[in-house]
Amino acid sequence: MVSSISLSIDSDLDKVSLLARAVRALCEDLLSPEDQDAVELSLVEAINNVIKHGYHGERGKDVQVAVGLQADQVVIEIIDHAPPMPAQVLDNVPEDTFAFDETDLADIPEGGMGLALIRMNMDEVEYHSSESENRLRMVKRIGAPS
Amino acid sequence: MLSTNLRNNILVVRVEEKRIDASKAPTFKDEMAKCIEAGQNQLVLDLSQVDFIDSSGLGALVSCLKRLGPRGSLAVAGATGAVSRLFTLTRMDRVFALHANVDSAVEQLSA
Repeated sequence: MVSSISLSIDSDLDKVSLLARAVRALCEDLLSPEDQDAVELSLVEAINNVIKHGYHGERGKDVQVAVGLQADQVVIEIIDHAPPMPAQVLDNVPEDTFAFDETDLADIPEGGMGLALIRMNMDEVEYHSSESENRLRMVKRIGAPS
Repeated sequence: MLSTNLRNNILVVRVEEKRIDASKAPTFKDEMAKCIEAGQNQLVLDLSQVDFIDSSGLGALVSCLKRLGPRGSLAVAGATGAVSRLFTLTRMDRVFALHANVDSAVEQLSA
């Protein structure tokens, strides 16, 4: 069975949790609670990035989310019309974001963790920009060992 | 979004929101800063009401820790599910002492 749904919000950080809760509910029957956590966190991080970095916090812009529920995977696409993220950013997410020295306060990160978290929580992550839109595609496989 | 309670000279700060995300992180940081500036340097953060934290929320917690400085302490109590998983995933469980509940956190800090 394949079904899909599109949801959208205004580029307002206050509205991200609504979308997150809706998508989580959609995945409830397909994914374990841990995988629902992974999808919810990745979705929130991705949308926060669009609003904060893509739209620079400006409200009234659109953020669309397409959710595809398939037999073996959940596909989440985040579509925006902001200036695109530079192509190499996603490929160059540092592997050592969380390899900080916990005994050195200054070394503990306060930001820049979003993309690393998405990479760790999803099975596939791809980013495409065209003339008309940017599309971040994230896949969570059903029943895949994490 | 926070309520506070002093126990054995340790400030227990309870987050009264279900989510600490990018929309709430700035308020969280400001209210925590007030607690710290009021002179408290041993804090227990009660996350038992919280079911979701994103990287902005986590970053806000780290900024509180930095504000407290090396002589202060910020323990976390009552983190479950997605919240406790985030601490493990980001290795922040090495930074914040995680306790099952406020009682055991207060007990350990006062020992």
